[in-house]
Amino acid sequence: MRGHEVVPDEDEAVVGDSSVVARGETGEVPGIGLRASSRAVLALLSGSGPVVGLTVLIIVSWTIFSVAGPAFIGSFNLYGIGQLAALDAVLGMAQVLLVAMARMNLAIGGVAAICVSLLGFLLSSVHVPLLVALVAVIGTGIIATVLIGVVELKTGLSSFIVTLAFLSVYSGGALLVTDHANYQITSSLLNSVGSGTLFSNAICPLIAVTLVCAGALWIIYNRTSLGWKMLAVGASERAARASGVNVSRILLAAYALSGLFAAIAAVMEASYELNVNASLGQNWLLPSFIAVVLGGVALTGGEVTVVGLLLAALFYDSLQSGLTILNVPSYWLECVQGVVLLAAVVADQLRRNRRRRARPVASGRVNKPSPVGISS
Amino acid sequence: MTRVAVGRAPWMPLLATVVVASFVLAATTRSFGSSYNIFVILQAAAFDAVIGLSQMVVLAVGDLSLAVGGIGGLATVVIGNLFEVHHWPAGAALLAGIVLGTICGVVNGLIVSRTRLSGFIVTLATGAAFGGAAYGVTGSIPYSDIPSVVSAVDGGRAGVFPYLLLIALVATALVLLGFRWLQDGRSILAVGGNREAALLSGISRQRAEVVSHAASGFLAAIAAIMYMGILGSATPATGTDWLIISFAVPIIGGTALTGGEVSAVGGVVAAIALSAINDALIVLNVNTNAVTMAEGLMVLVVVLAGHFGGLRRRRDGRPSDQRSDAGAPSRAVGFSGGSGLAGER
Repeated sequence: MRGHEVVPDEDEAVVGDSSVVARGETGEVPGIGLRASSRAVLALLSGSGPVVGLTVLIIVSWTIFSVAGPAFIGSFNLYGIGQLAALDAVLGMAQVLLVAMARMNLAIGGVAAICVSLLGFLLSSVHVPLLVALVAVIGTGIIATVLIGVVELKTGLSSFIVTLAFLSVYSGGALLVTDHANYQITSSLLNSVGSGTLFSNAICPLIAVTLVCAGALWIIYNRTSLGWKMLAVGASERAARASGVNVSRILLAAYALSGLFAAIAAVMEASYELNVNASLGQNWLLPSFIAVVLGGVALTGGEVTVVGLLLAALFYDSLQSGLTILNVPSYWLECVQGVVLLAAVVADQLRRNRRRRARPVASGRVNKPSPVGISS
Repeated sequence: MTRVAVGRAPWMPLLATVVVASFVLAATTRSFGSSYNIFVILQAAAFDAVIGLSQMVVLAVGDLSLAVGGIGGLATVVIGNLFEVHHWPAGAALLAGIVLGTICGVVNGLIVSRTRLSGFIVTLATGAAFGGAAYGVTGSIPYSDIPSVVSAVDGGRAGVFPYLLLIALVATALVLLGFRWLQDGRSILAVGGNREAALLSGISRQRAEVVSHAASGFLAAIAAIMYMGILGSATPATGTDWLIISFAVPIIGGTALTGGEVSAVGGVVAAIALSAINDALIVLNVNTNAVTMAEGLMVLVVVLAGHFGGLRRRRDGRPSDQRSDAGAPSRAVGFSGGSGLAGER
């Protein structure tokens, strides 16, 4: 299986990589007192996200697939890859907002189930204008996700168990209320975004939506104090709190943004499906983490790479599509997903361990002392 | 630290509520109190209890496994394949499935302990790989021919008591005794309770993690065999909906998410309660999707109750949270808050 090849390739490609776009290792910075410029230099020196590695992987895999099966670079296939990658990248964004805060959101699929049910109901049963429906759906997605954040804050429970419980509450609830009803998305505007074309036959307009989302996320993380504070809390909650960051407010903002992207992803998938029902989102957990991990974002929080997410989604969906072109039965695709995620996470960890051994002082984490005496 | 929580059982209120509710339902509806219905409840409960045990042994070491369902699916398919396609004897096929499940668990444990990654992301990946392999091997078509001994045992009953309940109770007893008497069991609890203290006492963290994941894989394979008999076929879809159950049973039963404590008996009670609620919703003609929602709500309610109970204990001057990483001081239950769960430790 092709997934196995990811390990050495990515690992080697990543070692000498020093991309400017991704900004990692805020854990090195005590608190958030340092100026942006000095942080950028630090990030540059430490070498961050595997953007170069992913680019190499994409080029290599596209070459192999298009030689093995010329249909791979046909406009029909490229269109499909773009459509799926656009969705997976937004899933990754919804996940990375909380991963960067050293948390996770397992409930993205549940929020999507609510959003898509509401969208279908408003469009096909109530016949409200599209804009009104979109505002209502996105608002609902944000509120539903912020509610999870409030529960996490009020109880201090781990985000794992809270979002896991909310996943079943939301998806079970959506299925219960709609009773598995299928909604046809009748809006022609939405359909033309989801399955129309942009500039050429090979480009799905959803890609533009994703690029806008990515741009917004990049600006949040690189140009706003909210982004800095989210990373600071992710790197060290105590240090952030000590330097005057209102951790609760920042956490709720991250949940709200995560809900926003989950709702957008739900609308995106609804835009190209003929029928939608509340079971949409049931398989979103794995892709959302694949985009994050393959993109090179540490699960320990404090760093993020928007370009990495986009490239990871593109590589991942190219791989799936390429395997289909190579006549690998579709039943094996889930297994491939698992192997890719495992390879990515292990490669990433090996890379980090190596870097830590090289510069032990720089990557010491403020709030998480490593277990005494355990050599990795 | 290595105590097995049985005293002051947190599941007693739950048990009382379920018993009272069951009597009310049995009196008001015709079908709920029938002996066949009680048999069905206990049968599903036995199966849920073993899934819960499979998660519990990993929670004990302070880790978690999302691969319980994936291992169950793969074990099911391998048994079905060896028996139906390769005409292995029933015993050999079943043994192969159990061994494979255990090996899958060992693989998880080795990856987790060597890379120092969290079980969350590792088992998310391996669970998809195992479950996906089950789909790949079968091409999504179930094996309809299963060993007759499995269907006989899994469908059999003595009065209202299914034979499966006996298997679940034996498994529970073995887990309980293992944690009490076996050195590895005590090591798992020690590592789960306080990683540094265990290390300083010369306990191998790596060994404890591998053993707990191996036990989890073993139990997942047992659960898979139970499910195979209940269903009457070996389908790769086995395990796809085990995730929430696997956490609901130990958490509702009172097992700490932080590790170091297990409540095996509580798990059985929780499994019976969940199964009875499930059945009651069906008897009352509520949409079956309410079951999923109810499980999520119960997990929330129980962890919230545990959290506020933890707060009360702390005010009494008995800290309930003895984990050493005080990175997030306000966190009582759970993996010491958001930090420390994902990624490396």
